[in-house]
Amino acid sequence: MIFSTTLLAQALVSGTLIGGVFALIAVGLTLIWGVMRIINFAHGEFLMIGMYIAYFLVATGHWNPYLTIFVTVPALFLFGVVIFRTIIHPILKYPAMNQIMLTLGLSLILQNLALVIFKADVLTVQTPYSRLTIPLGEVIVRVPQAIAFAGSGVAAVVLWLFLQRTDTGRAIRAASQNRDAAMLMGIDVERTFLLAFGIGSACLGVAASLMVPFYYTSPTVGLFFGLIAFVVVVLGGMGNFLGALVAGLIIGLTEAVGAALLPGTLARVLTFGIFTLALLFRPQGIFGGRQQ
Amino acid sequence: MSTLRKPSVFVPAVLFALLLALPGVASEYVIHLSVLVLMYAYLATAWNILGGYAGQHSLGHSLFLGVGAYTSTFLFVQMGVTPWLGMWLGAILAGVVGWFVGYLCFRYGIKGPYFALVTIALAEAAVYITSNASFIGGARGLEVTWLGSRPDLMQFNSKSGYYYIILVMTALAIILTKWCSQRGFGFRLVAVRENEDAAEALGVNTLRTKIQASVLSAALTALGGSFFAQYFTYIGPKNVFGEVPSVQILLFAIIGGLGTVWGPALGALILVPVAELARGWLGGSFSGAHLLLYGTVLVVVMLFMPKGIIGLLGRIRLRPVRRRQARVEDDVT
Amino acid sequence: MSLLEISRLTKHFGGLTAVNDLSFSLDQGEILGLIGPNGAGKTTVFNLVSGFIPPSSGTVTFDGRSVTNLRPHQICQLGLTRTFQVVQPFPDMTVLENVMIGAFVRHGRPAEAENKAREVLKRVALDHKAATPGRSLTLLELKRLEIGKALATEPRLLLLDEVASGLNMVEVEDVLALVRQLNREGITFLIVEHVMKVIMSLCRRIIVLDFGKKIGEGTPQHVSRDQAVLEAYLGEEEYLA
Repeated sequence: MIFSTTLLAQALVSGTLIGGVFALIAVGLTLIWGVMRIINFAHGEFLMIGMYIAYFLVATGHWNPYLTIFVTVPALFLFGVVIFRTIIHPILKYPAMNQIMLTLGLSLILQNLALVIFKADVLTVQTPYSRLTIPLGEVIVRVPQAIAFAGSGVAAVVLWLFLQRTDTGRAIRAASQNRDAAMLMGIDVERTFLLAFGIGSACLGVAASLMVPFYYTSPTVGLFFGLIAFVVVVLGGMGNFLGALVAGLIIGLTEAVGAALLPGTLARVLTFGIFTLALLFRPQGIFGGRQQ
Repeated sequence: MSTLRKPSVFVPAVLFALLLALPGVASEYVIHLSVLVLMYAYLATAWNILGGYAGQHSLGHSLFLGVGAYTSTFLFVQMGVTPWLGMWLGAILAGVVGWFVGYLCFRYGIKGPYFALVTIALAEAAVYITSNASFIGGARGLEVTWLGSRPDLMQFNSKSGYYYIILVMTALAIILTKWCSQRGFGFRLVAVRENEDAAEALGVNTLRTKIQASVLSAALTALGGSFFAQYFTYIGPKNVFGEVPSVQILLFAIIGGLGTVWGPALGALILVPVAELARGWLGGSFSGAHLLLYGTVLVVVMLFMPKGIIGLLGRIRLRPVRRRQARVEDDVT
Repeated sequence: MSLLEISRLTKHFGGLTAVNDLSFSLDQGEILGLIGPNGAGKTTVFNLVSGFIPPSSGTVTFDGRSVTNLRPHQICQLGLTRTFQVVQPFPDMTVLENVMIGAFVRHGRPAEAENKAREVLKRVALDHKAATPGRSLTLLELKRLEIGKALATEPRLLLLDEVASGLNMVEVEDVLALVRQLNREGITFLIVEHVMKVIMSLCRRIIVLDFGKKIGEGTPQHVSRDQAVLEAYLGEEEYLA
C-alpha cells in the first residue's frame, strides 16, 4: 500500500469525474426503478448499445464524439420504448421476480448478440480530446473525463427540471407514486410509464457518447456499469435524484481511492461492501428516498 | 398399496435403474452430456430449496458453488486431502456462508429484488477476492492435479465414474426435496413464500425457516461445486463464482417449475442438451450461443409460461398480483 | 389474574400517535369488543398485541407473561393468535394445507397436523373444500378459512379483525354462531368490528377508541349512550343501531 498525497489527490479527482458518469447512468435507473419500480437488469446493456453506436459513428464516420448524442439519445429512447411496449409492459402485472428474470434474460440476449456481431474485441477510439489533460497542481485532470462529468451534470439538471417543471414530468411522478389516483385524475398511466422508460434509457445515450472518448466498448461493458447503477440507486435512496448524484460521486470516489490504496482489483469489493451495508442498515439511502 | 408399488415411487425407481444402465450402452459423448444434465439438475434442485420453495430468489448462487469447488480443490492440491472428504468441508463452509448471508439479509428484511442484488454483489465480490488471492491461484485459478485413475481421489479415466457419482447425488437431492416437501419444514417454506405475514401470525418462525433454507441450499450447492471441480479439473474465479453458473442453475429451475420436486431436473433435461447442441453447432465462431439461447428462453418463458413447464402441464395459473400488496405495517387504522 | 393485560400502550409513527396510553384487561372466557371510528387505531392495537410492530412504550402481558417485544410467531406459540382484516390465505396451497400450517404449531408430524386440520375444517364447515386452492374461495369461505387457520393453532385468545366486514346478514349470523360456540368451548376473544350487530350481540364488554385513546368502556348499552362515544361517531350514526 503506497501512500502518497499526490496519488490520493489524483484518485479523488479521477473518482469524482467518473462518479459523475456513474451518477448519470444511475439517474436513468432512478427514474425507471426508483420511481416506477420497474426492475431492468438490462440497463447496463442499453448503455452498451449506446456505446457501440457512438463508437462506430466516431471510428468509422469520424464524427465528433459529443455530437453523437444526437443519435444515441433518440436511438436509445426508441429502443427503450420498443422494449417496454413489447416485453416489459406485459410483465408488470406479475410479481417482481418475473421482471427480474425477464430483464436478466434480455441482458443475456443483448450481451451475446453483441458478441456475435462485434466479437469480443475491446474497442477504443482516439479522438482529439482523448489525450488532453489539464494540470491542476500536482494532479492531472483528463479532459474527456471532465467533459463527461460536466455533461452528466447538465443532463441530470435537465432531467430534474423536466420532472419538476413540465406536465409530463409531473405526470410521471404522480403515476409512480399512486397509479390509481393518477388514473383517476386523467393521467394516461400506460403512456406515462412508456415515456419514462424511454427517457430513462435515453439518459444512457448521453452517458455512452460521453464515455466513448475515454472508455472502451465491448459486449460485456454493461455488466459492471449496470450493477454499479443499481448500487448507486439504492445508496442514493430509491427515487431520489439528488441522492443518486451524490451516491454516484461516493461510489466513484470509492472505486478510485480504493484502487489507489488496495492491491489488485479489490476496490470493487469495497463498493459491494458499501452496497450491502447500505441495504442492511440504511435501506432508505443517504437522503432517504421513498420507502421500500 | 405398499410403498414400492406407488407410482410416485415406482416410476422414479425404474428411471433410476435405467439410468444406471446408461454407461453400458451409450457413447462417451452421450455420457458426458448426461453428466452435464445431471450436474445442472442437481444444482438447480439445490437452488430450488431456497429459490423455489422458500421463494427467495438468489441470483448469486455461484457463491456457494465456488466455495465448494475451491475448498475441496485447494485442500486436495495443497494438502492432498481427498475430495471425498474435502467436499464435505466445503459444504460445511458454504453452510456457514449461507447462514451469514441468510441472517444478514433476512434479519434486516432484505427481500425480493434487493436480496437478488445482494447475492449478485456477494458473488461478484467473491470473483474479485479470489482473483486477488494468489494462494488459491489468483486469476489463473486452480487445476486439479491429474493422477490418473484414482477413484479414492474422485478421479476416473472414463466419464462413467463421474456419471455414477452425479447420478446418485442428483437422485438423493430429489429425494431430499420430496421428503422435505412433505414435512413441516417444506410446508413452512411454502408458507413463507406465499404469505410471510400470515405464516408468522400462525406460529412459523419465518426468519429461522428462511435461514434454514439458505444453509441447506448453500451446502448442497457446494457439494455440487466439488463435483464440478473434479469433473472439469479446472476452476477459476469467473467460471465458478461468475454470473454464468448463477444464471444457469436458476434458469433450469424456473423453466422446469419453481418449487416443484422435478421441475429443476426437467428444466436441465430439456435445456442442457439443446444448449450443448447450439454450442457445438455454432461453437467455434460464437462461444456465447448457449447464453443467447438461455436468455431467449428466459424471456419467452416469463412472457408466456411464467410458471414453467410443469405449470403448463398442471392446472397452476399465475395469479396477477397487485403491485403493492397490503402489508401489516400499511394498516395504520 | 386476567388473560391479557394492556398497560399504557403507546405507538408513534413519526409525528402521528396511533395508540395513546391505552390500558385495558381481558379475562379468560370473555368476548371483548374494540370499536371506534376509522383511523382510531384498532388494527394498530392488534399489530402491537400480536407482535407485528413494537410499541413505543407500554407493555402487553399475556397469561402473566410479558410478550411486549416478542415476535409474532412466538406469541402465537404461547396461545395468542390473530386474524387479518384483509384475509391472508396462502393462495397456492389447498384449504387443507392452509390450515395445516396453523396445526403445525402444536403437532410436529405431518400426519397429526393433517388430522387436526381436518377436524378444524369440519368446525368451520370447509371440509368439502379441503382440496380447493386458497385463491379459489368466496369471501365467506375465505373468512372461515382465516378463522380455521387461527383455530388450528389451538389459541387461548383469538384476535378477530373485522371478521364480519363484507358479509351479508346471513353470513354474519353464521360467523356469530361459530364465535359463540368457540367461546363456549373456552376460547377468549378480542374483536375489532365495525358491524355493530356483531359487537352488540357478542360482547358483554366494549372498549371504544378514538385517535388512539380509550374514550369509553362498558357494556354495550352503557357505551351506546355515552356522550363521548356518540360524538366520536357523529357522522357515522348509521353504525349505531
